[in-house]
Amino acid sequence: MIRYEHVGLRYGIGPEVLEDVSFTLEPGSFHFLSGPSGAGKSSLLSLMYLGRMPTRGLIKMFGQNIGEMNRDQLASIRQRVGVVFQDFRLLGHMSTFDNVALPLRIQGRPEKEIKNNVTELLDWVGLGDHKFALPSTMSGGQQQRVAIARAVITRPRLLLADEPTGNLDDEIGFRLMALFDQLNRMGTTVVIATHNQQIMNKFAHNRLILDKGRMHIEEGTKKGGLRQRLEGVY
Amino acid sequence: MIKRILQKLPASIFSRERVLGVSKSRQKYDLPLAASTTNSFLRLLIALMSVLGLLALSASFALSAMTHRWSEGLAGKISVEIPATDSGGDVIDPSLVKSMTDDVAKILSAHPDVKEVSITEEKKIKELLSPWLGENMVMDSLPIPGLISVTMDEDGKTDLKELEAKLRDVAPRARIDTHESWLTDVVRFTGALQFAATLLLVVIGATTLVAVAGGVRSKLSENKEELELLHLMGASDSYIARQIQKHTMILSLQGGIMGVVAGGIVLIGISMVAGHMSINLIPEFKLSALQKIILVGLPIPIAMLAMITARYTVLRVLTKMP
Repeated sequence: MIRYEHVGLRYGIGPEVLEDVSFTLEPGSFHFLSGPSGAGKSSLLSLMYLGRMPTRGLIKMFGQNIGEMNRDQLASIRQRVGVVFQDFRLLGHMSTFDNVALPLRIQGRPEKEIKNNVTELLDWVGLGDHKFALPSTMSGGQQQRVAIARAVITRPRLLLADEPTGNLDDEIGFRLMALFDQLNRMGTTVVIATHNQQIMNKFAHNRLILDKGRMHIEEGTKKGGLRQRLEGVY
Repeated sequence: MIKRILQKLPASIFSRERVLGVSKSRQKYDLPLAASTTNSFLRLLIALMSVLGLLALSASFALSAMTHRWSEGLAGKISVEIPATDSGGDVIDPSLVKSMTDDVAKILSAHPDVKEVSITEEKKIKELLSPWLGENMVMDSLPIPGLISVTMDEDGKTDLKELEAKLRDVAPRARIDTHESWLTDVVRFTGALQFAATLLLVVIGATTLVAVAGGVRSKLSENKEELELLHLMGASDSYIARQIQKHTMILSLQGGIMGVVAGGIVLIGISMVAGHMSINLIPEFKLSALQKIILVGLPIPIAMLAMITARYTVLRVLTKMP
């Protein structure tokens, strides 16, 4: 479970970009994070993947108060969070295989296990033939799939994605949502930041709506709505 | 023409994998450290600092050996001089100087604390004076004093003032020289030089460490995005530091080896030049086996220090990340 209580964030001595944000994400839930540009979506995401620390308030992740953790404990929490960045942030000197294997290597998993899992996942995202390719030689869509594979390879407990469908056509966007849905059904809590109304309207998940640093929550229609709609599409 | 030649060359020359946009071998480091622009700078800097360090350390060893040999060579030794002039400054007849010298030698030989007495021949005295007075000087016209080298028992309990008084019964201006004041000055001087060499070594070491820290900081800022990404993926500070410290250690070891080889060539050159100059005053400089091992092994402590500095620098930089 992830719990935010009266969380605020400001950069330096500037105004608060997040004001008094409170919400709870139940394990296995699926949320869209939306709001106009400049509303604080990226700031909230950076708090969620522990790229920043709040200037006030309480954040509990997986039952632990992050304000009371040491650096090693924070690193261990980050290992349980998968992030798909808007600009992918792949390591240019590494092959597709090594980029996807990186989170497992950070966790110190055995090479044999890494080889099996990464190969299987790359096949699954349709990049089995590109495992030695460098990111610079791949298309935007392929790079995005690598970024997604890297985010999910460790079976994270929380998956965060920042505008994951931004560079994709509708069909690939739907496939991507199917992938996130599948992970969600396997128990991963998913939060997708987007201002793509079409996607949010099509998939009936709860919405965390940020506006001028403040948050309110809109309930989705029903759980499983996504699957029903996908079955209709494919 | 050039284009055709280039086309015939195997692609591996231009890193075949990079040309094809693939990478089949696993990267040694998660950060792109191998491609960093600071690598050659750091390697060269450490090589140059190692040359200076090697020379400073050798100088320190040489000075220490010199002091030791001088002290050891003069331990228990005294000289007795029978001046060739009287108290009024008039030259004494050389035969009288010789006779007084013989009498003094007899008294010394009879003394229970004296182990050995040797009268320095006039020819030897002239040889000793020739570097200062020149070979062509008309030595025969110079008043040559009588000189006696004496080796005493090593317990050093002999009352030299009493002995000198006894000698003055037969040679009124006879003087005992224990070399003590000269040796003290020389030891003090070489000690100061040794301190300067050690200080220089410390300054070289500190400069190297500051440069390593600067190099690591520059490397980190060069790879800031990648560093941040590793951090966000849950890489612990130690995990990141381990990669950079290993990379820095390898670079420093390479630089250190290059420096020691270059420094060794300089040292051999210096000892060859010194070998051609017959400087009798300075004892021959020879390194002990241990000193040779220390000099040859210099890259190891350099690499270790650089590694520790890199680790400390990375950990400090990482504390700025949440």
